[in-house]
Amino acid sequence: MSKTLKGITLKGSAELVAEFFSFGINSILYQRGIYPAETFTRVTQYDMSLQLTTDAKLKNYLTNVISQLKEWLFDCTVQKLVVVITCLETNEVLERWQFDLECDKTAKEGSAPREKSIKAIQEEIRSVIRQITATVTFLPLLETACAFDLLIYTDKDLEVPEQWEESGPQLIDQSEEVRLRSFTTTIHKVNSMVAYKRTNST
Amino acid sequence: MDDMEDDTTIFSTLKSFKSLISCPDRSLLETEPAFGRSGLQNLYTKRVELEEAAERVRSHTNLLQLTQEKQQMELSHKRARIELEKEANSSSRDLQREIDRNRELLLQIRRLEEREEKANQALNEQMENNKALKRNFEELHKKANEKDSKLAEADQVCVCVFCISVCRKMKKCSHEIYNCSFNIKKLSLICALLPLICAVRLQELERRLALQEQDSVIVKNMKSEVARLPELEREIKRLREENTFLRETKENNSLLREETEGLRRKLERMERAMEEKLKVEKPEDLSREVIQIQQRELNLKQQNYTLNSSIRSVEKARTELMPEIAQLRAKAQEEQKKRENQDSLVRRLQKRVLLLTKERDGMRAILESYDSELATSEYSPQLMLRVKEAEDMLQKVQTHNTEMETQLSKAQEEAGSFKLQAQMVSHIHHHGNFLLKIEELESERQQLEEQNNILEMRLERHNLQGGYDPVTTKVIHLQMNPTSIAKQQRTEEVEQLRVECQRLRDRLRKIEAGGGMTTDDTTLIIPPSQEILDLRKQMESAELKNQRLKEVFQKKIQEFRTACYVLTGYQIDITVENQYRLTSVYAEHMEDSLLFKSTGPVGSMQLLETDFSRTLTGLVDLHLFHQKSIPVFLSAVTIELFSRQTVT
Repeated sequence: MSKTLKGITLKGSAELVAEFFSFGINSILYQRGIYPAETFTRVTQYDMSLQLTTDAKLKNYLTNVISQLKEWLFDCTVQKLVVVITCLETNEVLERWQFDLECDKTAKEGSAPREKSIKAIQEEIRSVIRQITATVTFLPLLETACAFDLLIYTDKDLEVPEQWEESGPQLIDQSEEVRLRSFTTTIHKVNSMVAYKRTNST
Repeated sequence: MDDMEDDTTIFSTLKSFKSLISCPDRSLLETEPAFGRSGLQNLYTKRVELEEAAERVRSHTNLLQLTQEKQQMELSHKRARIELEKEANSSSRDLQREIDRNRELLLQIRRLEEREEKANQALNEQMENNKALKRNFEELHKKANEKDSKLAEADQVCVCVFCISVCRKMKKCSHEIYNCSFNIKKLSLICALLPLICAVRLQELERRLALQEQDSVIVKNMKSEVARLPELEREIKRLREENTFLRETKENNSLLREETEGLRRKLERMERAMEEKLKVEKPEDLSREVIQIQQRELNLKQQNYTLNSSIRSVEKARTELMPEIAQLRAKAQEEQKKRENQDSLVRRLQKRVLLLTKERDGMRAILESYDSELATSEYSPQLMLRVKEAEDMLQKVQTHNTEMETQLSKAQEEAGSFKLQAQMVSHIHHHGNFLLKIEELESERQQLEEQNNILEMRLERHNLQGGYDPVTTKVIHLQMNPTSIAKQQRTEEVEQLRVECQRLRDRLRKIEAGGGMTTDDTTLIIPPSQEILDLRKQMESAELKNQRLKEVFQKKIQEFRTACYVLTGYQIDITVENQYRLTSVYAEHMEDSLLFKSTGPVGSMQLLETDFSRTLTGLVDLHLFHQKSIPVFLSAVTIELFSRQTVT
């Protein structure tokens, strides 16, 4: 693994970001209660304990999406990843967790690795995931049964693979937005934000 | 009583036996001497008679014993029968109790079912109430959470602000510390590197001496150029004077124009006046006046022409002078700049010279000290001296640096002010317009900045909410994603529920229309409640118990009946209530039976007329009418039948 030897290469950066998304999405699903807490198991990553799903179908879906996302990160054609949480009864979008990706296109395959320690990147990722956990305190409760979907914003000229299809952005009707922390591997920069449907009870 | 009667009969028979025995003894004793053989025969016959009597007595006693035993047997029979009847009664009572219990349990089951339905209804109502309460509670909870979040954000902001201020202070302190440490490090480095610096400086000084000589040559050239400056200044003064003169002529021109205009008006007025006057006076005077007027006109025209020519000449001169003025101004500015540069160079050179002389003196002193102290071998006081000298030099250099910086700033300010003055002199007319333009541009710029900020905010908001530019971006997702799968499952569930609803409605309609239970495809499996299951289990266990009791009773009754049949010789059947049919074991025909009827609760029986009983009238009369004993009768009948069977 080049990323453990000297500096960060494009491939190593893509793997780091894909790993972050895998754990981040699992954390969001656990925190928001989309799947029951019994279906999650505790693992240690980034020097903290995180929850990972044991549901086979969900695991399969996540690995499909994340592996495809890794390829696109390597090609620098992906712009955003969005986790959309929809209420099943009313078919309304209740929450959107959006991760903006900025790719430094000058770092192509053959160029020299960048100088940034893995520990520093992991420290930044840890603070982002901690913040995601902390946001649960002010997000409105999800009372009804909900399901989630993963949307990817890519360049217009990208070839859509089999089993993928185009979709709308699935925006929230009246939303409140909060910007969260970001982290960078010097090749990819990930900005996080969450938008939730404004509740009318205030 | 029977026993007592038996005993008395036994005693009576014993007495009779004894009497018999005593009589034949007497008779024997009396008749012995009379008759010899006849006496023996009489004795033998008497013995035979006695033996016969004894046998009779024995048989009588046997009979009595047998009757006694028979009576005992009958008693035991009766007791057994009574006990059996009691048991049968009790078992029938138990059966009835069980049946009653079953009925009661069934009733209870029905009542419980009704209660269950009521409880379910109450439950549903409670659940609805709970849901409403939960919703209210959660709304309140949300409000509280939002307030908490707001408070937390405010706290975080305060904390952040405080942290930021603290951080800034910390940073300032750390910067200062860093600077101080850096200075200390600098000084230490300088002290350590002093001997090297001295050697290097010697070389540099030699180079500088060479440069200095070159610089002195340059200085001489510069001095000559600088000497030209006063001439330039004189030219500038001349030009300025000419400028002022030209302005005055301009003003004079304007004044002259006004005068000409005034004169013209006067002329017109005079002409008007003269026209008036002309009408009144003589022609000679008119001609004179006309001539005078014409002369005046000519003079005035001449003056006018001269004035115009002078004006034109002056204007020409002015226009010719304007570019020269501009050129001279540019030259003056350039020469001013040059002068300033030269002044600064001169100052720098003078100061360099001073520095170099001072360094040279210092180096000379160091060298002299080196030379003077070659013999001695102590290094540390020399080093200390050198360190002190170096520190003094450093301080002097630092003060000189500060002075130079102040002078530089002053010179820059002066240069700026000179520039402004020159600009003011040359562009005094356009100053007002430029100011206005500058203000307009500033206001436009501010407006544009505000618009830019607003647009940037909108863009940011749009980006946060998830919007995108369709020309450059597209949104994709997997076809088989959890939301679509969940929606599909939901629609399927809804369909299933609708179908079940429809089925239930049809079933209800059928039940209401039909009234009875239908056993077609629409049977539902309503899961029974726990109570009903328990009651069913109890019922099953009770039924099982009943079944077992019945079996046991059957067995026992069968055993008892067979025992009675075997022991008494009669099979007793209950044909009708209170009627008992007895069939003997030795009966000749199957239909031969005796019927008894129970009269009263005590257990007294009456014989009823049957075909078979008519054949036994003798026994009936003897045992039932005279002796009034049914057991005797029955045993007599048994003996009769048995004797008949054995004989035939």
